[in-house]
Amino acid sequence: MFGRYKPLWGKTPRLKSSYDAVIIGGGLHGLATAYFLARDHGITDVAVLEKRYIGFGGAGRNTAIVRANQRTQENVPFYKEALELWPMLTKELDYNLMFFNCGNLNLMHSEAAMNAARMSIATAQFHGIESHLIDAKQCKELVPALNISEDITYPIFGAMYHPPGGIVRHDAVVWGLAKGASKHGVHIHQQTAVTGIGVENSKIVSVDTDHGKINTPRVLLSAGGYSAAISYEMLGVTLPISVLTIQAMVTQPLKPILNHVVSSGTYHAYAQQTLKGEIATGAHMDPWPNYTTQTTAYYIKHQAEALAEMLPCLRGVKFMRHWAGLADMTPDMAPIMDGNDPIEGYYMDCGWGYFGFKSCAATGKYLAQFMASGNCPDMLKPFNLRRFEQHRLMGETAALMDYSPDN
Amino acid sequence: MALTITCPICDKRNGYEFRYGGVDKGPRPDEEGLTPTSWCDHVHMNKCVAGIQKEWWFHRDGCGAWFTIYRDTTTNLEVDKPEAN
Ligand SMILES: Cc1cc2nc3c(=O)[nH]c(=O)nc-3n(C[C@H](O)[C@H](O)[C@H](O)COP(=O)(O)OP(=O)(O)OC[C@H]3O[C@@H](n4cnc5c(N)ncnc54)[C@H](O)[C@@H]3O)c2cc1C
Ligand SMILES: [Zn+2]
Repeated sequence: MFGRYKPLWGKTPRLKSSYDAVIIGGGLHGLATAYFLARDHGITDVAVLEKRYIGFGGAGRNTAIVRANQRTQENVPFYKEALELWPMLTKELDYNLMFFNCGNLNLMHSEAAMNAARMSIATAQFHGIESHLIDAKQCKELVPALNISEDITYPIFGAMYHPPGGIVRHDAVVWGLAKGASKHGVHIHQQTAVTGIGVENSKIVSVDTDHGKINTPRVLLSAGGYSAAISYEMLGVTLPISVLTIQAMVTQPLKPILNHVVSSGTYHAYAQQTLKGEIATGAHMDPWPNYTTQTTAYYIKHQAEALAEMLPCLRGVKFMRHWAGLADMTPDMAPIMDGNDPIEGYYMDCGWGYFGFKSCAATGKYLAQFMASGNCPDMLKPFNLRRFEQHRLMGETAALMDYSPDN
Repeated sequence: MALTITCPICDKRNGYEFRYGGVDKGPRPDEEGLTPTSWCDHVHMNKCVAGIQKEWWFHRDGCGAWFTIYRDTTTNLEVDKPEAN
């Protein structure tokens, strides 16, 4: 009955002294890229190096929300593809990712917000993504638990309703991708920290780890919230990133009451009911950089107040757990995916803030294409690092959920 | 991770009274010889130090002063000015 512990993704391989590609960070993005490198491009001699255990970072701490109703024409098609990949991955990985496309309701609390929603909806529809404007009464029909009375702090005017979005079981994605990648021959090394990146004549040659040196012509930095510090410490390259701690929590499990993701930028809160019945809710960021991943009484109180107004039936329900992770925020709220500039063989994938779960499948697919060919796929071109010095920041800050260290 | 910050005028106060003003990057670069890259460095680029950094704060819900402190980003605690920097 008590079989010996065996990881889902097979036996731990021996760390070799060279690989065709090395990936720093065993989060969603690193594992997804490794998976697609092996599956689509025949590059199977790949090591994923993870300092702690896979899923230690944002991958295991996020609130599992997926959607494709971002603000800009560069971002929307990317997230659309990511959203469409869930059913495909579930089948292909032979692993139940528990994709529940329950739809997202993004609440609006003023006429100005309704107008901003109209613009986002027009962008989504232009790209063939379902998104509608609905009024308060229609919100109530979709989510009967919602409080649409006028005597709350921020009365609800309506919502941007995005039916194809929803939730996916985040841990399952980590384990499924790990299983899929290792089946194709990828080596996953946990408890293996990268301590240096070797560059000669502007080319990647190696990676140093606490288990020795690895020769390799290609490195992907996908260490989530730790990427910016690694970039500066190991390569002297600064990035336009601020690393903040972001908090979330879950209530005790309840019978089904919430069959949509409900979010409000004004209340600074969102909630979804997990398939286990808990109300998972987030996500506050203290607007000063820190690596503590600690939670605050300030925010737990804020969250209770917001939920008690928006969803009054939750009054008196207990929070069971709260936790935090890191969010690496860029000034334009869009990620940085870049490579071969200025170091050949060096690729980076960071600045994913609080939206890197929903995007991980598409990131993996396109970064694998980039790393295999050396040429940046069109889909990724707008996300280059140089956009900041060219003063071509993306307009994602105009999205309706807006958190950053600068405001 | 309760943060307290010491304002030079109001002394030690709850961190939520303040607005973070960014890591101290020194004076604004001279206009002369300024390139898009050096301007971008000054405006956007961060070292994202896991450790002690010198940073600006604004006492938003207080006296309105701008000032710098040293803080350890791994503990969220204010610290004395480090010896050698
Ligand atoms: C509370 C919270 C809620 C969120 N909610 C959502 C959401 O609802 N929807 C959404 O889309 N996104 C959400 N996110 C964001 C999302 O989780 C992240 O953007 C995403 O997980 C980051 O990508 P990743 O999984 O590859 O990184 P991570 O999982 O952070 O992986 C990075 C890994 O790198 C490892 N590492 C660090 N340093 C080294 C080193 N030197 N050597 C080797 N390995 C190293 C770390 O241990 C870590 O495991 C949320 C995040 C948090 C914290
Ligand atoms: Zn003061």
